[in-house]
Amino acid sequence: MDVWVVAMMLGVSILLGALGLVGLLWGLKNGQFDDREKFLNGTSFDSEEALNDAISMEKKKDKILEEKRKTGYRPPD
Amino acid sequence: MSKRCCDHCHLEYDESILLKDLSFGQSPKYFCCKGCQGVYHLLKSEGLDSFYAKMGDTTLEPPTDAREDSGTFDLDGFISKYVKKCDGLSEIYLVIEGIHCSACVWLNEKVLSKKEGIVEVVINHTNSKAKVVWDMQTIKLSQIIETIRSIGYNAYPYDPSIQEDRANAVRKEYYAKLLVGVFATMNIMWIAIAQYEGYFSGMRQDIKNILNFAEFVLATPVLFYTGSVYFKGAYFALKNRFVSMDVLVASGASLAYAFSVYAMLSKNAEVYFDSVAMIVTFVFAGKYLEVLGRKKAVDVMDSFSSTMPLEATLVKGYEKVLVPVESLHVDDILEVKAGEQVVVDGEIISAEGFFDTSKLSGESKPIYKSVGDKILSGYISLDSVLRYKALSDFSSSTFSKIVSLLSTSMDKKPFIEKMANTISGYFSLVVLGLALLTFIGWFIGFGSFEKALIVAISVIVIACPCALGLATPVATVVGIGSAVKQGILFKEASFLETMAKCDTLILDKTGTITQGKPTVLFSQYFDGFEPSLLYALVANSTHPISKGVALYMRENFNNEIKNISLESVKSIDSRGVEARYKGARLLGGNLKLMQSSGVVFEEEVVSEDMTLFFFAINAKLVAVFGLQDSLRDGAKETIEALKKMGLDIVMLTGDILHVAQDIAQKVGIKRFEYSLLPSDKAEYIDKLRDDGKKIVMVGDGINDVLALSKSEVAIAMGSGTDVAVNVSDVVIGGDSFFALYEAFFISKKVYRIIRENIAFSVVYNTIMIPLAMFGFIMPLFAALSMSLSSLVVVVNSMRIGSIRKIKKG
Repeated sequence: MDVWVVAMMLGVSILLGALGLVGLLWGLKNGQFDDREKFLNGTSFDSEEALNDAISMEKKKDKILEEKRKTGYRPPD
Repeated sequence: MSKRCCDHCHLEYDESILLKDLSFGQSPKYFCCKGCQGVYHLLKSEGLDSFYAKMGDTTLEPPTDAREDSGTFDLDGFISKYVKKCDGLSEIYLVIEGIHCSACVWLNEKVLSKKEGIVEVVINHTNSKAKVVWDMQTIKLSQIIETIRSIGYNAYPYDPSIQEDRANAVRKEYYAKLLVGVFATMNIMWIAIAQYEGYFSGMRQDIKNILNFAEFVLATPVLFYTGSVYFKGAYFALKNRFVSMDVLVASGASLAYAFSVYAMLSKNAEVYFDSVAMIVTFVFAGKYLEVLGRKKAVDVMDSFSSTMPLEATLVKGYEKVLVPVESLHVDDILEVKAGEQVVVDGEIISAEGFFDTSKLSGESKPIYKSVGDKILSGYISLDSVLRYKALSDFSSSTFSKIVSLLSTSMDKKPFIEKMANTISGYFSLVVLGLALLTFIGWFIGFGSFEKALIVAISVIVIACPCALGLATPVATVVGIGSAVKQGILFKEASFLETMAKCDTLILDKTGTITQGKPTVLFSQYFDGFEPSLLYALVANSTHPISKGVALYMRENFNNEIKNISLESVKSIDSRGVEARYKGARLLGGNLKLMQSSGVVFEEEVVSEDMTLFFFAINAKLVAVFGLQDSLRDGAKETIEALKKMGLDIVMLTGDILHVAQDIAQKVGIKRFEYSLLPSDKAEYIDKLRDDGKKIVMVGDGINDVLALSKSEVAIAMGSGTDVAVNVSDVVIGGDSFFALYEAFFISKKVYRIIRENIAFSVVYNTIMIPLAMFGFIMPLFAALSMSLSSLVVVVNSMRIGSIRKIKKG
């Protein structure tokens, strides 16, 4: 067997495995597995609406922060 | 009569008592109460009624109306305690009560996220904790909590200790490291199979090089990422001038790694990357399990102090004001209502009543206090409004003292030195010394640097902590696993070993040996007894005695109990309950209540060791119940078995002499101490420890926490309070007392296996190290014998799993 076939097979399979591992670690860092129940039930409530809610919430946050900056609000501490 | 479900909470009721609501078109809706109806209307009008489709068959608790005023949530003291500010936004952690299903999570998140001013809501379903970020200028905290209440849930804040966050972060980091370790090790293993196979059947050098390189790529992250904890541990150990297991693992693994890199480049020796990955990952798995159960000292403090009220009702002349507890002085006049906690030690100046003292004494039986009696902070008034004069300020009150005592004793928890660690310390030193000697010997004797290095490293590789390093972790992991099957949770693996070395067992009485709930032991009925009436009466009271009677009624008269609503129910201070039903006067309570209401007794009913509960209709006695706290299942047999194991057993209780005597006799305990305060229990343990005893303490209540934290191993019965569970090292789930025996049994067995494992690895090393030193060990043989030695340890440890169970009964 050619050396390069062995090298490629090893390389590709380890790389693929590593990709999966990196994905898992990324999810872990993101807190996706912090709440087991929610994670499992998440699929049943995942919809366009949920996505919209998340976006509108983010917009709300930006707006409030924007206003605070405009009015020159300083946190009391 | 047909049964029907309430359309909000889905609980089943008789159709006749449900409220019929025709406001939703032709099909009428039914509700069990106004609360459910209100929530249903609200959700419908907000367009959130898809909640009901989402929740499926789950049932909810009907919302209750009576809540304390949410205005307190806006007080400065409250906000500074719980609310965190970050760039102008406020952040709070809430515990949401009443979450049953993921639809509840969805509903709460949805409703809150719709509110103006709230910018982030994350609810954790597993522990019902929510993080809310909002703008204080747009919406008040009280409004947020009101919103949650309006949909039928309740929320109260909790202090997310930084410690808990940190513990979680550590746990996450360890998990990530373990994943990397397991992934790399598994892959190295199958490459190693090819290499071993190639060793026998021959393999071309170029292919071997590729396999070596692949192993190198995989082993590197294991050693430097997963194994970084050992390097840190070794660094600290060396800095503090002692040799630990970490030093051995770190030096062994990194030397084997260095040698393998050298072998890979020079192409004239075997690589040991598989051993590197194996050692690091296996020992790390043991460490990870420890981190999983690591105790959170600050968490305990939090749950303790969160039960402490922040404010007290101060009486000034005719005025009553709420003041922060810190500003109270000696001689202030304070008021405590039913259900509230006494904040500072004091003396009652008006009224009388029963107090729940379980926080301090652990006793379920409420005690009666009247004018002139001293009450302690931590007592909870059960049934009356009292005024008392403060005898101490907040910081010197009994409860605060316990909290501060606890925080100091938590750091000073005794630990028995671990056998494996001590041995491995010397062992590592010896091995490193021998390796150095070998190197010098070969270098001087043969003058070849390369040969000397290879032999020296093979000494370390052979002696590599495999067997010794795995001796403890594998045994404890198997031990923990079989303990979990019996419902016993060891929070740290090392407690198995510690527990096996303990010689004294201290048991708390209430809630540990006994169930902590009074149950009806005898009952006597006279003419005119009506179960429904009694049930309706006792269901109105939260007193433990009433609860005991209510439970007994449900168990014995379930079919006869009808839903009856009583009129003018009132609880009579410290005596019982009174109500009216269709003109008849119902009375339930103690002897005093009966006598003062002129109830006629046909015969004398007296009992010494039982609490009596009387029930009278229209001044005629119709039933008597005798209640007593009953023993846990199997308490006697378990204590018998533990005695046979050679343990000294002592019972400590806050209860009075004759109750303590009675229980001690029933379960066969000879030594017991009674009428103890929490601090007395802790002192008692200190005294025993001064005598050289090693102590296992079993407890369940807040009153045991101090004593638990003083003992070598603390065991909490799973039904105990959160605080006790948090502070303890071992948690026994369920109500069974047998598990206590099993916990001891497993720990002793694990300890024996650990000793066997260590003995084996010492023998192994004394044979193999000299051989390696003289250069007799071939690379393959080194690798094989190493794997074999670990295998022996692992197989030996597996024997723990096959424990025989204690014979029940």
